[in-house]
Amino acid sequence: MALTLMLLLPLLGAIALIAIPGETRVERAIALGATVVTAVLAVVVVWGRHEVDVPWIRALGVRWHFGVDGISAALVLMTALLTVAVVAHALSGPIPKGGTGSTFLGCILLVETGALATFLARDAILFFVAFEVVLVPMWVLVRRFGDDHVRDETRADAAGRFVLFTVLGSTLMLVGILLLVHHQGTSDLTVLADRHGAGLSRSLQVAIASVLLLGLGIKVPLWPLHTWLPSAHTIAPTAGSVLLAAVLLKMGTYGIVRLAVATVPVGVAELSPLLALLGVVGILWGGLACLVERDLKRLIAYSSVAHMGFVALAIASGSETGLQAALFGNIAHGVVAALLFFVVGDLKEQWGSADLRVARAALRDKAPRFGLALVVGLAAALGLPGLVSFWGEFLALYAAWSPAPGRPVALMRVCVVLGAVGLALAAAYSLRVARIVWAGEGSDRADGAAGEPVGDAHGARWAVVLTLVVVIVGLGVLPHLLLGLSDSATSGLLAGVGVAP
Amino acid sequence: MSWIVRMIVVLPALAGLLGLVMHRRRLVAAAVAVSVSAYVMVLGLIQWVAPARAADIDSLGSLPLGGGLAVPLHLLSDRVSGLVSFVVALVVLAIQVFTVWYLRDDPRYGRFAATVSLFAAGMLLLVQAGDLVLMLVGWEIMGWCSWLLIGHDSERPAARRAAYKAFLVTRVADIGMVVGLVALAVRAGSTDLMAVLTASGHDTALTVGLVGVLVGVAGKSGLVPFHDWLPDAMEGPTPASALIHAATMVAAGTYLVARLFTLYAEHDGARLLLAVLAALTMVYAAVLALVQTDIKRMLAYSTLSQIAIMLSALAAAPAELGPGAGLSHLLGHAFFKALLFLAAGWLSVLGGATALAALRGRLRPTGALRWATGIGLASLAGVPPLVGFFSKDTVIDAALEGTGAGSVVVTIALLLTVALTAAYCTRAWLLLDTPLAVVPPTGTAAGPAAGAADPAPGSAAASPAVSPAASPAVSPVAQPDPVVPAEQVAVVTVADSADDAEVERVHAHGHAPITLSAALVVSVLAVLTVVATLFLASLRGGVHVGVLTALVSLLLVAGAAAAVWVAGDRGRSDVADRVPGPLRDRAVRGFGADTAYVGIGRAVTALARLVVTLDRDVVDAYPRATAVVARAAGRVGERSHRAVPSLSLLGLLGGVVVIAILGVTAWR
Repeated sequence: MALTLMLLLPLLGAIALIAIPGETRVERAIALGATVVTAVLAVVVVWGRHEVDVPWIRALGVRWHFGVDGISAALVLMTALLTVAVVAHALSGPIPKGGTGSTFLGCILLVETGALATFLARDAILFFVAFEVVLVPMWVLVRRFGDDHVRDETRADAAGRFVLFTVLGSTLMLVGILLLVHHQGTSDLTVLADRHGAGLSRSLQVAIASVLLLGLGIKVPLWPLHTWLPSAHTIAPTAGSVLLAAVLLKMGTYGIVRLAVATVPVGVAELSPLLALLGVVGILWGGLACLVERDLKRLIAYSSVAHMGFVALAIASGSETGLQAALFGNIAHGVVAALLFFVVGDLKEQWGSADLRVARAALRDKAPRFGLALVVGLAAALGLPGLVSFWGEFLALYAAWSPAPGRPVALMRVCVVLGAVGLALAAAYSLRVARIVWAGEGSDRADGAAGEPVGDAHGARWAVVLTLVVVIVGLGVLPHLLLGLSDSATSGLLAGVGVAP
Repeated sequence: MSWIVRMIVVLPALAGLLGLVMHRRRLVAAAVAVSVSAYVMVLGLIQWVAPARAADIDSLGSLPLGGGLAVPLHLLSDRVSGLVSFVVALVVLAIQVFTVWYLRDDPRYGRFAATVSLFAAGMLLLVQAGDLVLMLVGWEIMGWCSWLLIGHDSERPAARRAAYKAFLVTRVADIGMVVGLVALAVRAGSTDLMAVLTASGHDTALTVGLVGVLVGVAGKSGLVPFHDWLPDAMEGPTPASALIHAATMVAAGTYLVARLFTLYAEHDGARLLLAVLAALTMVYAAVLALVQTDIKRMLAYSTLSQIAIMLSALAAAPAELGPGAGLSHLLGHAFFKALLFLAAGWLSVLGGATALAALRGRLRPTGALRWATGIGLASLAGVPPLVGFFSKDTVIDAALEGTGAGSVVVTIALLLTVALTAAYCTRAWLLLDTPLAVVPPTGTAAGPAAGAADPAPGSAAASPAVSPAASPAVSPVAQPDPVVPAEQVAVVTVADSADDAEVERVHAHGHAPITLSAALVVSVLAVLTVVATLFLASLRGGVHVGVLTALVSLLLVAGAAAAVWVAGDRGRSDVADRVPGPLRDRAVRGFGADTAYVGIGRAVTALARLVVTLDRDVVDAYPRATAVVARAAGRVGERSHRAVPSLSLLGLLGGVVVIAILGVTAWR
C-alpha cells in the first residue's frame, strides 16, 4: 500500500501541476508536499521492505510487481530525498525562464515517478516502461527550461541529443528484454534472477548481454557513447543537471546489474573484459578532458564519465565486492555530483556563465559557504579518503585486482593501474577548479561585474548544500550504513539464489 | 586503554570540525585548538607509558563486505604507536601555541588552526591504524590538509602554485600507494595489518605491493624524483612548514614502512630500491642545502636529507634489528626540526625576511632564540649529547650491521651526509650569528661598527656547532643593521624567498614582540632536543651507538665544521659564495626539477587537448553524421513527394481500395 502510494503520489502531483496553469502558491505546496510525503514513504518502504504484486496486463502476463531489496534500497532513498532537495532548491529561487513554474515542478515530479518505478520494478516490461517515463519530462526540462544565455538551436541540439541517444539505448534494451523474456518465458525479474541464465545457451546469453549492455551503456554513459552527456548537463537547469547526474545515470548502472548481471551471467562474464576496458578508457578520457575543459558544468559532466567508469570497472570484476563497490559508487557519485551541480548552478546563475577563463573574484573569503561546499565537493570528486567517493573507488580497484574466476586477470590488473592514474587526474582537475574558483587564480585581472564577489548561499539553498556536505562526510566516515544495505543482496544476486525482497 | 587510542584519533578531528565552525571567533578557535592538542598529548603519554599491546581495537566496526575481503578497520596500539603519537601530539601542541602568536593578525587564523587539528588527526590515525585502509585514509587526509595549509595565503600566486604542486606530486606518487595497498590486501584477503604481515605466497602481488607502497612513500617523503615539492611548500606559513616537516606528513612514510618492516626485510629487491633512492636523496639534498639562500628552503632541503636517513635505516638494517633505528631518527628529528622551524619563524619576524643574506648577524642579540637555534642546528649536525647525534649514529650503526649491496650504498651515503650536514649547519650558524663587517655609508658611523665587527666572530665562532652557548659579550648598541651587499642579493630573487606573507606582514604591522607562551614553546622544544634521547631508549633498538661509528661521525662533523669555518673566514663571508655563480643559481633552483615537472604537466595537458579534439571530431562525429544523414534522407523524401498528389497516384490509390474491398468480400 505504502509502495503504491509512494509511486502514485508524485505522479498525481505531476498531473495536478501540469494541469494547473500559471503560478500560484498552491503549486508550490503541491510540489513540496508531494515530494516530502514521497520521501517519508520511501523511508517506510525501504525500512519495511514492502512489495506489491498484482496482475496488470493479463494477456501478456505482465504484473504490477514492485518491490525493494538491497540492490535498490539505497537508490530509492537517494532519489526520493534528492528530489526534495531539488524542489526546495527550485522553490527558493527564480524558476528558470521558458515556461510556467508548475510545468517545471511537474516535470521534476514526473522524473521522480519514473526513476522510483524503475528502481522498484520487479518485472522486465514494467522496468522498461518506467525507464521511458523519465525521458519526456527530462527533455522538457532541458529544452524549455535550459540555459537561456545560449541560442535556441544549442538548447534544441542538447535536448535532441539527449532524447535520441537515450531512445536508441532504450530501444536496444527493449530488444534485449524481449529476447530474454521470449526465451525464458517470463518477465518476472525475480524468477529470471533465480534461473540465473539457466536454459540459455552461451551464445544466446552473449547476444542478450551485448544488446543490454549496449543499450544501458548509453545511459550510464560508457565511453564512447557519452557525447550526449556534456551538452545536456551544460544546458540543463540546475534541477535538471542534478536529476540527470544523480538519478538518470544510475538507472543505467542499476539496469546493468538488475537486468544483465543477474539474468545472463555467462554473457556478462564473456563481455566483462570489454566493459572493464571501456570503463577505464572512460576514467582516463573524462579525467583528461576535465584538465582543459573551460565550462565548469561541462567539466563536471566529464568527471561523471570518469566516475561512472569506476562503476563499470567494478561491475566488470564480477565479484561480490565489485558489485557492492558499484552500488556504493553509484550513490557516492549521485551525492557528490548533486552537490557540485547545486553549487555550480547557483554560481552560474549569478555569473551568467560558467566559463573558467573569465577572471572572477575568489570564493574563499567573499562567499565562504559556497567555498566550503565547492571544496568538499571537489575533494570528494578526487576520491579523498574520509569522504564518500573513496570507498566506491578503492573497493572497485580491489575488486578489479582480484576479479571473479573466468575474467582475464592480467588485463584487469592493467585496468587497476590505469584506474589509479585516473585518481591522480581527478586530483589534477579538481584542484585546478579549486585554484581558479576558490583560491582565485587570475582574480587580480577580474574587472567590472566579474570582479564583484557573488552573493553567498543562504536560506533553503544553503540548507540543501549543507545537508549534502554532511551526507558526503557522514557516509565517508561510516560507509557501513550503505554497504550494510547491499551486503546480502549482492551475494544472492551473484549466486543466482535470488534476492529476498 | 582502547578508549584512549580511539580518543587520540577522534579528538583532533572533532577539534578540527569545531574550529571550522567557530573559526570567526579567534579566542574560541585558539582555545579549542590548544586545549585539545594538550589533552591529546597527555593521552599519548599515557598510551606510551602504559602500553597494552592490542591489535584489534575496533574503530568503526568492520565493513560489511560480502566477498572474500575482510576490512576490520582495527586500530593497533603498542609501544611504538604510543611513543610516536605522543611525540606527534607534542609537536602539534607546540605548533598550535606558537601559531596563536605567529598568525596574530591573520583573519584566517581560525581556519588555519582547525586545519592543523585535522592534519594531526590524519597523522594520528596513520600512527594508530592497524589496517591498510585506515593508513591510506590518514595518509591522504594529510595530503589534503597540506594543500590547505601551504595555500593558506591564497592571494599570492606562489602559494597557490606551491599548494597545487605539493598535492599533485604526492598524489601522482600515490598511484603507486593505492595499487600497492590493493595488491597487499588482495594477497592477504584482508586489509588488517596483522593478516597482511603474516600472509604468505603470491610473490608477484608482494613485489607489486611493496614497490607500490615505496613509490607512494617516495612521493610524500620527498625522495628523488618526487622531492621538489617540499622546498616550494615553504610558501605556507612557518608553523605549517614545521608541522609538515617535523613529525607528520613527510615522516609518515617512514612510519608506514616501519609498520611493514617484516615484509620489506624479506624482500631484497624492494629494499635495494629504497636504499638507492634514500642514498641519492640524502646526499643530493644535503648538497643543495649547503648553497641555499633562504633559511626556510635550507631547512626544507635538510628535511629531505634527514627523512632519507630515516628511510635508509629501514632499507639497510638487518631483519632481526627491526625498524627501531629509523623510528628513532624520526622522533629525534621531530624535536629538532620543529625547534628549528619555529625558531626560523621567530627570526623571520624579527628580521622581516627569510633570506639568509638579510638575516646575517640577526641571531646575535636575541638570547633564548640564539640558544634555541644553536641547539637545533647542533642537533641537526649531530653533536653529542643532543638527540640528533644518538639517533643518527644509531642509523649508521644499523646500516653497518646490514648485509648486501643496499647497506653498502647506504653507509657510504650516510657518512657523506654527516659531513655535509655539519657543513651546512655550520654555515647557517656562522651566517646568522656573525655580525656583518660593514663599510658604513657615512664616516660618522664608522667607529662603532668597525669596532663591533671585530671581536664578535672571535668568541662566537670558536666552536660554533659544538657550543653555541658561548656568551655573547657584545652590547646591543654595537649591533649594526644588516646591510646586504648587492652582490649577495643578486642570487636571491623574489621567487626564492619563501614565506613572503610573513615578510609582508612585518612590513605592514612592524615587529610584534613574541609572547611568553610562544617563546616558552621554543625553549621547551630546545630542552627536549637535549633530553629526548631518554625517550628513544624505550624503543627496541632505538639507541644503539657503537664507539667506532661515534668516533668516525664526530671526526666528520668536526672536520666539516672546521673546514666551513676556515673557508668562510670565521663567518665573515658566505662559504656558498665560493660556488660559481651560475652553478649556484641553478642549485638554488633545484637543478630544474621544477621545469621537468612542468614539462610533464605540459605533456599531459597536450594529451588532454588531443582527447578533447578527438572527443569532438571523432567520437562525436558518428552521432552527428547520423543526424546529418537522417536529415538528408528526410529532405530527399520530402522532395520526392510533391505537395499536390498527382492524378495517377490518386488513381492508383483508388484502385488499391477497390481491390481491397473486392478481396475482402470475395474472401467471405
